[in-house]
Amino acid sequence: MMLSFFDQFMSPTYLGIPLMALALTLPWVLYPTPSARWLNNRFLALQGWFINRFTQQLLLPLSLGGHKWAALLTSLMIFLITINMLGLLPYTFTPTTQLSLNLGLAVPLWLATVLIGMRNQPTHALGHLLPEGTPGPLIPVLIIIETISLFIRPLALGVRLTANLTAGHLLIQLIATAAFVLLPLMPVVAILTSTVLVLLTLLEVAVAMIQAYVFVLLLSLYLQENV
Amino acid sequence: MPQLNPAPWFAILVFTWLVFLTIIPTKILAHTYPNEPTSQSTEKPKTEPWTWPWY
Repeated sequence: MMLSFFDQFMSPTYLGIPLMALALTLPWVLYPTPSARWLNNRFLALQGWFINRFTQQLLLPLSLGGHKWAALLTSLMIFLITINMLGLLPYTFTPTTQLSLNLGLAVPLWLATVLIGMRNQPTHALGHLLPEGTPGPLIPVLIIIETISLFIRPLALGVRLTANLTAGHLLIQLIATAAFVLLPLMPVVAILTSTVLVLLTLLEVAVAMIQAYVFVLLLSLYLQENV
Repeated sequence: MPQLNPAPWFAILVFTWLVFLTIIPTKILAHTYPNEPTSQSTEKPKTEPWTWPWY
């Protein structure tokens, strides 16, 4: 069978072990659990600062009811940013390129925010379907549009993350292949392509962090609407 | 696109949520943040008399 550029995204198995399992469990070795001792080492201190700052920033726009979600949202951020960043290393598998994982995270969490809103304050939650100041005749159309946009949210969350990471990895592979193939033929062009590759990798590092953050931020906004 | 192959979808879902609910929050919640130490001043703090009974 022909090796295509999409084959890097196949869920790999090696000797019957799904490598997805390894890719999802091994990254947490990088986060040692703090002990009951007061003094940490530098690595743990940095992680603690990051978690603390991030939780504080994320919870700023949320009302008190949303603060219950602090641990969940921070866990989600650590999960996504670690997996995204580790996927940029050569020969690693990025679980967040799998649509199943992203939809599996986005749909239940989004559904949870909607159900919380519907259960605790149904009028307020349904009120989001009609923006303020709509002219009378437009009301039915706008309600339909807002309902569609509500239901598209989990799909958008999942697909956004998948597409961004898949596209990034694919571009890296394409440009790296181009640089490699051009090297014996036109070395100068190959060097230019390698420069593009370096810049692209920097972009991908940024994208990895940003996309993880956007996922969590949007989820917190959906929560704020409903809480 | 191989991501659209539905075969491992359920396994991935279960595994992700397992990791996401068990491993990560344990590690994150273990980070504790002690209160900031207050700077000591030489003045004795002012105490006002209280109006409720001392139990």
